[in-house]
Amino acid sequence: MLLSIQPDSPVPIYQQIRDRIVEAIAAGELPAGASLPSTRQLAVDLGVNFHTVNKGYDLLRQEGLLRIGRKSGAVVRRDAGSGQADPGWEGDWAARLRTLLAEAIAQGLGPDEIGERGRAAVAGFRMRFEEGA
Amino acid sequence: MTTPAMLAGYFTVPLFGAMLCAGPAVTRPAVPFGVRAPADRAAASVIRRERDTYMRYTAAVTACATAAVFLSWGHGSWWLGRIILLLELAAELACYWRAHRRIAEAKRAGRWFAGQRTAVVADTRWRTEPERLPVRWLVPALAVIAATVSLRVAYGPPAARGPAGGLAVVIGQAYVTMLWTQLMLLFHRSRPDLDPADPVSSGQRYRRLLRAYTRALLVMVALVDLTLLLDGCRVWLVARVPPPLVLLPSMAGLLTMIGTALWAGRDRTEAETARLGRARAAGVTAPDDDRWWKGGLIYVHHDDPAIMVPARFGVGWTFNLGNPSAWLAVAGIVAAPIGLALLLR
Repeated sequence: MLLSIQPDSPVPIYQQIRDRIVEAIAAGELPAGASLPSTRQLAVDLGVNFHTVNKGYDLLRQEGLLRIGRKSGAVVRRDAGSGQADPGWEGDWAARLRTLLAEAIAQGLGPDEIGERGRAAVAGFRMRFEEGA
Repeated sequence: MTTPAMLAGYFTVPLFGAMLCAGPAVTRPAVPFGVRAPADRAAASVIRRERDTYMRYTAAVTACATAAVFLSWGHGSWWLGRIILLLELAAELACYWRAHRRIAEAKRAGRWFAGQRTAVVADTRWRTEPERLPVRWLVPALAVIAATVSLRVAYGPPAARGPAGGLAVVIGQAYVTMLWTQLMLLFHRSRPDLDPADPVSSGQRYRRLLRAYTRALLVMVALVDLTLLLDGCRVWLVARVPPPLVLLPSMAGLLTMIGTALWAGRDRTEAETARLGRARAAGVTAPDDDRWWKGGLIYVHHDDPAIMVPARFGVGWTFNLGNPSAWLAVAGIVAAPIGLALLLR
């Protein structure tokens, strides 16, 4: 998986790391059971402090997407084919989605355009996931 | 009398001069003379001009130093070759510094990074499917060390020279082999030089470069060990080995290594120059990280956990002097031969 971050972006680097990994899981690039580099190795490759990577991995662990073991390292815990999400996750996600939709509406996007963009993004992830499978 | 050390002093002058002169030809176009340039400025006129000037000046310095060293052949001590080499390196460093400063000034004045979209890319497969050190290529070096031990056991040093006379050769070989093996392990753990505009191809090129470089280095280590063995034979009076023959394996190893580095670096530079147009289309470039590079050669970044990073000038790797582990590694490299020399006195 190619993990790209933008150091000059207003989005914190740990958040960018978390977002890129979630996208790679959704697209099937990182299936359940796939290993990720250790925090130190990824920090070396990105040239950032390893606490930054640790923070990104910790977010993913809290969201139930990563399992971090002392021996196994960071491993993808679930993907699109792993069945229902953990209880409680959907409530958090709905709250974040509500904010995202509010941003779109505040910026003048209409319901049709918002719906179209959402469908296109989901179709893109599903297509890449099925190609990978 | 001409000794192998004296000969080494003479031959390294044209060799190192030619190597430094060829530096810009194997340097990535994104970092001309250690200055980070965005894709749309990599072919700027100031870079072309400074590259031509640098190559002309360093070629002249190399020619003068080579003439001086061969004219001094047979006169003075072995220090003379070393002094000429140091003067040559200082003059070529001054040529480099001139080009570096002028490009950095043009970059500041032209605000090259204003409005650029920058990104850093990591390939997680680099860690989950790492490039392994080719351990089999260590066999020749170990075989030479085994042969040296066997020779020492069979013939033994003359009593007047003491046991250290024979032991020093084996310890020297072990030091060279272990030092380079450790350094190669660090090269393998270092981050790959990925181009954010073309991460897949640049990653493949980096893997090719690392493989070729590692094998060439292991060949060089075996040949340096062979030089030490031949020198040992000469000292132990096992065989009358003329000094040029003692030096021949090391020189062959050094030439193999330099040739491989030039070939691999040239391959990378040509590929990156060819894709500069695509990078302009993608509109993404590596971030401006010049503030961590002193003179474009020395890397000091306290927040970067890397011990070694790809060098900016030529082909190879350099220590991150902002990392205490790198200082420990440098101290070990320097302290080990001094300690051994004191121990064997």
